[in-house]
Amino acid sequence: MNKYLKKMQSAFVRPVAMVFLIIVMVVMASSLVSSAEAGSQAVKPAYALVNCRIFPVAQPVIEKGTIVIRDGLIEAVGPAEKVQIPEDAEIIEANGLNAYPGLISAHTNLFLETKEQSQTAAPEDYLAAFSQPTEPKELPWLQIVEKVKPKKQTVEAYHRIGITTVVVAPHEGIFQGQGVVLNLNSDQVNEMVLAQPWALHINFTTERGVYPSSPMGTLAFLRQKFFDTQHYSQHLQRYRQSPQFLKRPEYDPFLEALLPFVIDKKPIVFQCNNLEEIKRAVKLIKEFKLNAVLTGCNEAWRVSQQLKSASIPLLVTLDFRPPASSVYAQQGQATREKAEKEIYPANASNLAKEKINFSLTSFGLNDTNFVKNLRAAIKAGLPADQALRALTIEPARTLGLDKQLGSLEPGKIANLILTKGELFDEKTSIVKVMVDGTLFTYEEKGQ
Amino acid sequence: MKIKNMKVNRIKPVLLKNKNQLVFLAALLGLTLLSIYSFPFPAAAQTEDKAEVTAIVGAKIVPVTGPVIDSGSILIRNGRIADLGANISIPSGAKVIEAKGLIAYPGMIDSYSWLGLEEISGVRATVDNRETGRINPQVKAIEALRYDSMHIPIARANGIVAAVVVPSGGLISGQSTLVKLEGWTNREMVIKESLAMIIELPALRRSRGEFAGFGRQQPQVTTEKILDELRQIFQKARMYEKRREAARKNILLSPPDFDEASHFLLPVVKGELPVIFSVHADKDILQTIKFVQEEKIKAIFYGVEQGFKVAKEIKEAGIPCIIGSLYSLPPVWEDGYDALFLNPVILNQAGVKISFSSSSASTAKDLPYHAAKAAAFGLKPEEALKAVTIYPAEIFGVDKLMGSLEPGKTASIVLADGDLLELGTKIQKVFIDGKEVSLENRYTELLKKFEQREADK
Amino acid sequence: MREKIKKTGLLLSLLVFFLSSASWLLAGGDLLIKNATILTVTGNTIPNGDVLVINGVIKQIGQNLTAPAGVRIIEANGRYLMPGIIDTHTHIALSGTNEGTDAITPEVTMAEVVNADDTSIFTALSGGVTMVHTMHGSANVIGGTNVVLKLKWGKPSEELIVKEAYPTLKFALGENVKQSNRTLLPGRPQRYPATRMGANALIRSELMRAKDYMAAWDHYEQLKKSKNPPANLLPPRKDLRLETLADLLRGKLIARCHAYVAPEMIEFLNLSREFGFKIGAFEHAWEAYKITNELKAAGVGISVFIDSWAYKMEAAEGIAYNAAYCTQKGLLVSINSDSGERIRRLFNEAGKSVKYGLTQDEALKLITINAAKQLGVDRLVGSIEVGKQADLALFSQHPMSAYTRCEMTIIEGDVYFDREALLKERAAASTKKGGLS
Repeated sequence: MNKYLKKMQSAFVRPVAMVFLIIVMVVMASSLVSSAEAGSQAVKPAYALVNCRIFPVAQPVIEKGTIVIRDGLIEAVGPAEKVQIPEDAEIIEANGLNAYPGLISAHTNLFLETKEQSQTAAPEDYLAAFSQPTEPKELPWLQIVEKVKPKKQTVEAYHRIGITTVVVAPHEGIFQGQGVVLNLNSDQVNEMVLAQPWALHINFTTERGVYPSSPMGTLAFLRQKFFDTQHYSQHLQRYRQSPQFLKRPEYDPFLEALLPFVIDKKPIVFQCNNLEEIKRAVKLIKEFKLNAVLTGCNEAWRVSQQLKSASIPLLVTLDFRPPASSVYAQQGQATREKAEKEIYPANASNLAKEKINFSLTSFGLNDTNFVKNLRAAIKAGLPADQALRALTIEPARTLGLDKQLGSLEPGKIANLILTKGELFDEKTSIVKVMVDGTLFTYEEKGQ
Repeated sequence: MKIKNMKVNRIKPVLLKNKNQLVFLAALLGLTLLSIYSFPFPAAAQTEDKAEVTAIVGAKIVPVTGPVIDSGSILIRNGRIADLGANISIPSGAKVIEAKGLIAYPGMIDSYSWLGLEEISGVRATVDNRETGRINPQVKAIEALRYDSMHIPIARANGIVAAVVVPSGGLISGQSTLVKLEGWTNREMVIKESLAMIIELPALRRSRGEFAGFGRQQPQVTTEKILDELRQIFQKARMYEKRREAARKNILLSPPDFDEASHFLLPVVKGELPVIFSVHADKDILQTIKFVQEEKIKAIFYGVEQGFKVAKEIKEAGIPCIIGSLYSLPPVWEDGYDALFLNPVILNQAGVKISFSSSSASTAKDLPYHAAKAAAFGLKPEEALKAVTIYPAEIFGVDKLMGSLEPGKTASIVLADGDLLELGTKIQKVFIDGKEVSLENRYTELLKKFEQREADK
Repeated sequence: MREKIKKTGLLLSLLVFFLSSASWLLAGGDLLIKNATILTVTGNTIPNGDVLVINGVIKQIGQNLTAPAGVRIIEANGRYLMPGIIDTHTHIALSGTNEGTDAITPEVTMAEVVNADDTSIFTALSGGVTMVHTMHGSANVIGGTNVVLKLKWGKPSEELIVKEAYPTLKFALGENVKQSNRTLLPGRPQRYPATRMGANALIRSELMRAKDYMAAWDHYEQLKKSKNPPANLLPPRKDLRLETLADLLRGKLIARCHAYVAPEMIEFLNLSREFGFKIGAFEHAWEAYKITNELKAAGVGISVFIDSWAYKMEAAEGIAYNAAYCTQKGLLVSINSDSGERIRRLFNEAGKSVKYGLTQDEALKLITINAAKQLGVDRLVGSIEVGKQADLALFSQHPMSAYTRCEMTIIEGDVYFDREALLKERAAASTKKGGLS
């Protein structure tokens, strides 16, 4: 029980509203810890990026502009003639470069020890229910931040594809635990944390050999837990007011962990691996009036009408593999490959056409596939500016971090990327990346 | 074919003489076969005067190999068809079976079954068709055959008179047997004790599952690799024989140690004993044809779900095909929902000799329905009928003995009240080797037992 | 010829793409079928008859009917038109089959895991099947609630569900639930129940719990409504498992019970009397022929295989006469597939019953009107009658013949399977690809 209590504390005593303080702490910490990439300055310098083309996302493009950065935050952004370069700023000549806000992938399983989960569970095997039971993986209290082991290599690989902020989500079980938002500023977890916990992650998966072992069992299990949480909360509340006529509610760590999400409506992320799971999630969300986000959703276009009316934030993966249950996966290899190449890449553009807001994520993909698939989505009709928003301001809003991230505006965190060429072009190289005001420089492509 | 024509046109005295010759010829043939396969030949030594004659009269006769006789008679003597035709005279003293309104067919042959090796598939103690291990050329289906299996009388009551019974579950699964569905012991049932070696190549990769369709393993290795392995096994058998032969001739040489697999594969590598290859994908079929030709072995294919894609090649190779169960989904979705139904049609049109199989024990009785299913998708009904009668007889080298209604052949006759392959048809009488067999079975016995409950009230 | 087949997959996938996007294949629910041999099932067979369908409903049956302008006309050329086939026991079009972990899982709902993408739907349509009762598996004593679907291939899952059908709850008895055919894994205890005694006892106890649960809620509601409700009145915990069982006891759900041997059926009948719940039908019911009196007295029908038997001990006395004999004894009998493969030849399975004593007309009922009655949808489907939904199947020959083939399958006036069109597309695709044949 003590162990649970401790976990509860780490999970809930820090309110999300304290994100600001955390940021301050991060900034302070990073000013103390030397950053090898940035050239071992004890105190982060102020920078002035000059003569670059700026894509602020929130405002129109600035053809020739200046960005001033100080203490990890953006101090000023604007046309060259309007922004004064501070005296103490280190000037970075960015002529011929484009500046964008750093990209956000709002669902990854980065830095976790077990290998990344494949996007979709296979359709239920008749025998699966009877195979040897494993330990249930239901850990709604799990704080994934405690399991994260960042690697410098991965951080750099993500810089090279423009990603500066990620959500690391737990990935085992149905009630998987609580995710964390990390800024890819270093390989030190505590420095990286932007929001903790971010949300409770739920996946419509199954347990092996123990309840629930089937998709319908999982739904019943979820629903029962939500009802139980409501009842538990009601019971606790009554008892706190007056114990008269009441049995003392027995402490239930599972339900305790669910209280902030089911009762206090903190965000829950439902992982939807196929068309039907999107519908199931929408139904549950409505039924229990949850504050929810859907992730996965590579078949979202097939339920666009329902999604339009539900107005639930979407984190759409760029993983184009048809889910096993899909009609596109059941009719032979040729059909499946064709669908992966021609149908699924148009998911995002179809959503855009329907005017459904969404973020794009790298969930289920490695760095190379992410870039490849992002280009494929744009080729399939997604306007580039919409793709940019779906990787910057949209996820920032969904994460509740739009005051901090998602655009190049004064006061926001200095997460930005400098490219040679337009961001999504094939030949484009990302040459400089700044995260929390720390500068990383990379070789140009083909050099 | 010639024999049939002769028969129809002869007048009676000549016919009798001619028949004598036929019986003699058949006996001679039987003896020849006997010397190779040692199957018991029905006693034909008695003189015909003493032999009891049974006459089926007034039936519509479908000989399969000749034109339909709208109303005719069949004479049975010494277990053989003595004569048949529209206007043959019935000898006095013959046991007459009035068959007006019934149709006489040759009994059907199930080309691939587990009859007698599997009673209740879910109860392991009653299952004898799967030996452990991969290489078992030494095991023989006949030696485990449960002659009083409850499934045999049920199949018989549906007009099936003979079946190939196969061991399964390995690479070289063992020796199949051809039995008639009548006899007081397993040995009494034998037509060909050792019919063919069963070799099972990897199954087609299923593009989708079917409910409760577990059991078929995904192929772990390619057919190419398996065929390489077989090449080595066969080569080893040949060398084994050579060394034994050499040792026999030269007393100074020591014979090789007994090698079970090599020993029991000898008839195969010598080209004496055919092999039934369970083979499924088009590419695998082509590879297996090549293998068979290089290894100079006698082959029959079984399964051949994608045979339609390489029908020409199969025809050219002259390899007959036993069609697997049509109670199955096409293993490859792209082949089309009706691929399994069209497959026998296309093979037949290409000139490949096909036969149908139940691939079952508990539903062996459904053999005619597999054939009818293919007919529903374009196989000519006459061809469908042949593919459960004369074609399997030819494939298994017993067409001189069975598979059609012709004088000289064993009298394995089915009297039905309708089309033999039709679902609603009731089989009225079945004769095996001239003897009328009981159509009672587990179904009828249990029904009677509980109908009695009503009667008792 | 073989090239044609090679291309089928491509074609079928194209078909799916079209289905999901366009409605060219769907005639919009209006049809005139001309010159068919109409097997009405509930009335006389009409040779050379026409059926007019407007808005998915059968408007007129007769001869020389004319269609309003623009209505698609299907020339049947004397082929056989029958009501769409109804399969009373399948597990197709679902994301899962068994919640096989606990012995009692009535809280699971199959209607929530319908997968309209399952290609088994197409397979079933190719055999003239238009409606299925798709069920929880038989791994546990009380499974989940089942769902009835129309096989509208290409439509979203929610549009498949037939809301008018009886809500049913799956029970299972015998070898599957006592897990007698399973090898125990090391370190894993045998699940309760391991005997038929245990299975029955478990059902009884769970229903007693459900009764208590209902009483607790009644008590709560009573107190809540009273003039002076006690302070701190807390509702009982909502238990989805017991909620479902309470619905069974309230008559809102009907039991469908997987059972093989006679005694387990007799004892389930007794349980239904003891607790006052309704039984829709026994599933498989291999030994029903032994207890026709009891079943008839209880008014309980059976949903059975025609002859798939001897796959386990409890199926070793399953005789092919079962369906025919029970029909003759006055039971309501349907033939089911319980398989994503057998479903496409369910008409053959019904046809076999002719051999065992039924007429072709009686055999047809096993997969049409009888099935509709068992699912509570006989006023909507199951026969060709004016006013019923136009769920139809066209066969090349009499559907009870072994030589027949399904040519077209229609649901509510929309064509969902059309063999001729499919063959044309195959031919077109093979030409397009440069194929010669």
